[in-house]
Amino acid sequence: MADDILFELLHSEIINYALEQTKENNDKKESDLSVVEYIGFAAGYKIMERLTREWPRFKDELDTMKFICTDFWMCIYKKQIDNLRTNHQGVYVLQDNAFRFLTNFSNGHQYLEYAPRYVAYTCGLIRGGLANLCINSVVTAEVQSMPSCKFHIHVQRT
Amino acid sequence: MAVCVAVIGKDNSPLYIGGIGNDTSTDNELSRQWLVHTALDALEERLTTTNNNTSGSNSNTTRTDMRDLYLGLLYSTDTHKIYGYVTNTRIKLVLVTSSTSPSGSNIRDAEVRTALRRLHALYADAICNPFHLPGDQITSQKFDKQVKNLMLNNV
Repeated sequence: MADDILFELLHSEIINYALEQTKENNDKKESDLSVVEYIGFAAGYKIMERLTREWPRFKDELDTMKFICTDFWMCIYKKQIDNLRTNHQGVYVLQDNAFRFLTNFSNGHQYLEYAPRYVAYTCGLIRGGLANLCINSVVTAEVQSMPSCKFHIHVQRT
Repeated sequence: MAVCVAVIGKDNSPLYIGGIGNDTSTDNELSRQWLVHTALDALEERLTTTNNNTSGSNSNTTRTDMRDLYLGLLYSTDTHKIYGYVTNTRIKLVLVTSSTSPSGSNIRDAEVRTALRRLHALYADAICNPFHLPGDQITSQKFDKQVKNLMLNNV
């Protein structure tokens, strides 16, 4: 489908652009992806208002996370999260066995060092979506072998 | 006939208050603000009872209508009726009708519900404006125009 590929290409160009910018600003080897994460945050924040329009009020936090795993993921990546784990104390782990931004690369370890670039946007997306639902969180991602990816959500309680 | 609609943010700060100035008693900003803000306590009360019901008894007694975004009539005075709607993102939409005018006194619940649902759709569109920052007042003229249209035509 043409509309899917547009989103994927734009996403990878945003990452290239952000990396280019950081290279100009400092010549350290570290890449700064906070811009990409923020773009994700803004997009997640806005899309959440639309997605939850026809939805009944969420019962609790777990209900909200289930929504993220099913409908939110379905809307953006055309598939559902494969596995959701939680310790019931504000830590949630979402596992996607074939994360869409990583499926185009070779499986295994060849491009593993570049994987963090391709998950920053999605971390922001989740964080923004949750922020609009009044859940403040820190989202990190972990890639162990290529197409599968784990997102860790730490909910910040006050 | 709707006298005024308001969009109130997560932290109870008004994002948008608009009305049609054909009703002389509510023709000024101050009385609109007052009308809308009287409803906030009622809104908060409804929301907290919803949460207690669901978390306290393990969702056995969860009534489906409690999970509805539309909260119905919140508050009524001699001259006005105030209806509320809270989205999943804790944005509060308030609609005030006049009970003195002939068209407002026998307004049906279903009409208010559809009007508020359409207002929610308009709000979602306004939020997607890239120049709008979350938590800011809505200054979009398009939104203002659409809301005024909604008030004139629907309710």
